[in-house]
Amino acid sequence: MSQYAALLIALPLMGAFLIPILKKISRSAIMPFLAFVTLVQTGIAAWVFKEVYTTGKPIIIMAGGFRPPVGINLYIGHFASLFVFIVALVSFLMVIFSMKSIKVEPKDKYAMLFLLLMLGATGMIATGDIFNLFVFMEITAISAYALTAYNKSGEASDAAMKYIILGGIGSSFFLVGIALLYGSLGTLNLAQIGQLAQLMDPTVAQVALGLIVLGLAVEAEIFPLNAWAPDAYQAAPHPITTMFSAFVVKASLYAMARILYLTSAVSSWGNVLNLLIILGTLTVIIGELSALRQTNVKRMFAYSSIAQVGFIAVGFALGTQAGVNASVFHMVNHAIVKALMFLAVGYVALELGGVSLEDFRGLGKRMPLTAFAITVGAISIIGIPLFNVFWSKMQLVMAALEAGKTGVIALILGASLVEAVYYIRLIHTMWFEGEGEKIGEDTLLGTIMLLLVALVIIIGIYPDAVWQIVQKAGKDIFDVASYVKNVPLMGVSP
Amino acid sequence: MISVYYFGAISLILIGLYAILTKRNILKMLVGLSIMETGVNLLLISVGYVRGKSAPILSEGVSANQAVDPIPQALVLTAIVIGVATTALALSVAINLYERYKTLDVEKIRGLRG
Repeated sequence: MSQYAALLIALPLMGAFLIPILKKISRSAIMPFLAFVTLVQTGIAAWVFKEVYTTGKPIIIMAGGFRPPVGINLYIGHFASLFVFIVALVSFLMVIFSMKSIKVEPKDKYAMLFLLLMLGATGMIATGDIFNLFVFMEITAISAYALTAYNKSGEASDAAMKYIILGGIGSSFFLVGIALLYGSLGTLNLAQIGQLAQLMDPTVAQVALGLIVLGLAVEAEIFPLNAWAPDAYQAAPHPITTMFSAFVVKASLYAMARILYLTSAVSSWGNVLNLLIILGTLTVIIGELSALRQTNVKRMFAYSSIAQVGFIAVGFALGTQAGVNASVFHMVNHAIVKALMFLAVGYVALELGGVSLEDFRGLGKRMPLTAFAITVGAISIIGIPLFNVFWSKMQLVMAALEAGKTGVIALILGASLVEAVYYIRLIHTMWFEGEGEKIGEDTLLGTIMLLLVALVIIIGIYPDAVWQIVQKAGKDIFDVASYVKNVPLMGVSP
Repeated sequence: MISVYYFGAISLILIGLYAILTKRNILKMLVGLSIMETGVNLLLISVGYVRGKSAPILSEGVSANQAVDPIPQALVLTAIVIGVATTALALSVAINLYERYKTLDVEKIRGLRG
């Protein structure tokens, strides 16, 4: 029964392959078909989520009936089921947005790439094999490159070229890391890597993990390799920007955390954590300071998104259960808030034709609902109580306190201060400056925005329910012993 | 004594990286990217080499214990295809860039500024 969860991978793939045939029959059916596929995917993901959280057991899918480590297995535990659900839900909401916002042809290619992007992110989160992880990462990356260049303007090509070159370097690094891991352990299965990790030569492990962190840092937007992100966010179609920020980044961060914690038995592990903490800190500082001087609002949100990624990376690098839990909580909250904000900004760009700070003057009078959505998102990101991000930042601070890293606390609080400056400037521009006529807002998009706003506020007032879920998901990453125990390895011992 | 295969593969990776970092022409950067990918593939293959063994195809006269490690070959087969797909996409983007800006010099292409 639980093997039906393999449809999470199979369904988007079949959908993507059916689109060229569908195009021959009827071009106008493509977008409704895309909505249908993502809706079914959301349904399956919700079922898997319910299944995993009620039984408390992860769903293990073995490809072709070969037991791991010979075959590839999917591991849909507490973390994966939660995030696969978020990926599917955000994709579904973005398909509805795409119906309004994607006017340029070819729509069939857009729909295919959209499904492949969703497939790649789902696969990265669900897989239990490191090479399979690489393949899914490349599926995500190549569809992301193509979607960044989708608008065919000079800017879009420029952004896509930067992304392709950085992504190419990153994937080469990652592959070298895999080669080193395979060369020293002789296995590609993540559970078996976890089992054998303490046998690894510390120097080789350090180099391999460093390369893997750097390789995943491209997709995860961590400092030295994130220069593509603001350009790509600015130039990509609006729904795609949301998908990048809401889950492509999260999938890579998760993969990084998963591999790091599985190899925590290696004696040089502390050095890798220190590397990640330095990179994460630099990501926060550079993201926030760059966001401060932006006049293009979409670009400002992109830098803000990068800074939030830095927080998540720092949380993972604390190396404690509390840090991992806080990071996972921040991932969930950030996915919701950034989906809301990029949706609203994309809608403004669609109606007013631009997203510079000038266009936002008097938005509170012209598009009150959208302005309200952006305001709630901005207040939440700053970390004001009664909104969801407050709780995850709070948890991050407490985890840092527990781990004795006072520098991290200073970083989080300082960065929140900078965030407050540029977001309150935006809120002020929207509500207290300029005049304008009221524009009739779209009811469907308005409903989605209100739904996300409601989610932000409900999690803000009652964080406990989500916190329970997140603690289980965090344990899934941190508790390596039970991860290894859950995968039925074929009687192979060290 | 470091094996010549490892040395060669890592030199190719470094040459590719050098080309990406120092060249200003986009096509030369893409050539660098391809060289880097080739280097990675060679490194993967040389990880699985066992001295004196033959290709892992079971046919008459070749038994299972005479084969080199077959797993890296499957990995490289996948990685080559991914590399070609990336290069094809990058080249089409390069064509588009040339049409818009009439140059392929990265320092003259100033579409986005932050």
